[in-house]
Amino acid sequence: MSAPSQIFDRAAVRRHRDRAAASVASVADILADTAERLLDRLDDTTRRFTSALDIGGRGITAPLLRARGIATVACDLSAPMLALSGGPAVVADEEWLPFGPGSFDLVVANLSLHWVNDLPGALIQIRRALRPDGLLLASLPAFGTLAELRGALTEAEAMLSEGASPRISPFPDLRDLAGLLQRAGFALPVADVEDIRILYADPMHLLRDLRAAGEANAVQLRDRRTPPRALFPAALAGLPEQDGRAPATLKLAIMTGWAPAPSQPQPLKPGSATHSLAEALAKPD
Amino acid sequence: MMPDTETLPGDSAVPNVAVDPRLLEILVCPVTKTTLTYDRAANELVSKAAGLAFPIRDGIPIMLPEEARHLDGV
Repeated sequence: MSAPSQIFDRAAVRRHRDRAAASVASVADILADTAERLLDRLDDTTRRFTSALDIGGRGITAPLLRARGIATVACDLSAPMLALSGGPAVVADEEWLPFGPGSFDLVVANLSLHWVNDLPGALIQIRRALRPDGLLLASLPAFGTLAELRGALTEAEAMLSEGASPRISPFPDLRDLAGLLQRAGFALPVADVEDIRILYADPMHLLRDLRAAGEANAVQLRDRRTPPRALFPAALAGLPEQDGRAPATLKLAIMTGWAPAPSQPQPLKPGSATHSLAEALAKPD
Repeated sequence: MMPDTETLPGDSAVPNVAVDPRLLEILVCPVTKTTLTYDRAANELVSKAAGLAFPIRDGIPIMLPEEARHLDGV
């Protein structure tokens, strides 16, 4: 098996999260909003959960899970970030999950899986850490997220220098996500997307918020030189405006998948039908 | 019998926060997915299969292969 390509610089991801531990409180409302949208899905099922793993919850997800009476272990690449979560915590890499089979009946990853190089591999490891009929709830930015900023940055950089370097992560397409869950062996995989638009009076605050959340650029092929001084002002001035404010779009993809269990609805075996479809269709009304 | 790990004189100055016993039940080696042994004296989780010892800092196990100590003779 060949190693998956290293799109993201995981050491940089870890550094950004270490640094963001001190500032993440300033974006807590955005993270809490997406975490609530994710945990709302728990109300759609009659299943009761007792032990959860919070992946990269930045001190927001774990307390929300515990408030629902679910014993929760938090894991993150960054120890300082984990210090915010309270309760049992493990520094772990999503690509090297250190949990035995059937350790949890619920895994929640709120806006944390998008810096993983080997997402299929991470999903397989998550499925194995779940008990049969355990649930994965994950949110991540999908294609179209920060499209305004991506466009403005590319345009400004092309104008100021010879070309453009990747300054915004590549995000997965919604269509790929349900397929990924299925390939990782999840039953009843579902992926849908919600649009969240945040309006910034000062677009500089968008960059500040991204950094505060630990979302600074960690693309392996990023231009590591200090960007030209004029780049960000030029790009931010090029952002589309709405009532004098700059919109930032978060295409929030929500993925749900269940660890397979015999109690779940199963497809019938091919050829097990007792009635002929052709006959049923041929019947006149 | 586990070999005794000597406690260095300076060690007692740093209070070791105990690791949550629930974690010890579910943690496995991230590389080999095999069971770990808890070396209480060294405050490490040892994966014999991978030849790695994962440190525990402030009660938080650091389960990153790149942070683990390589065991001698493996």
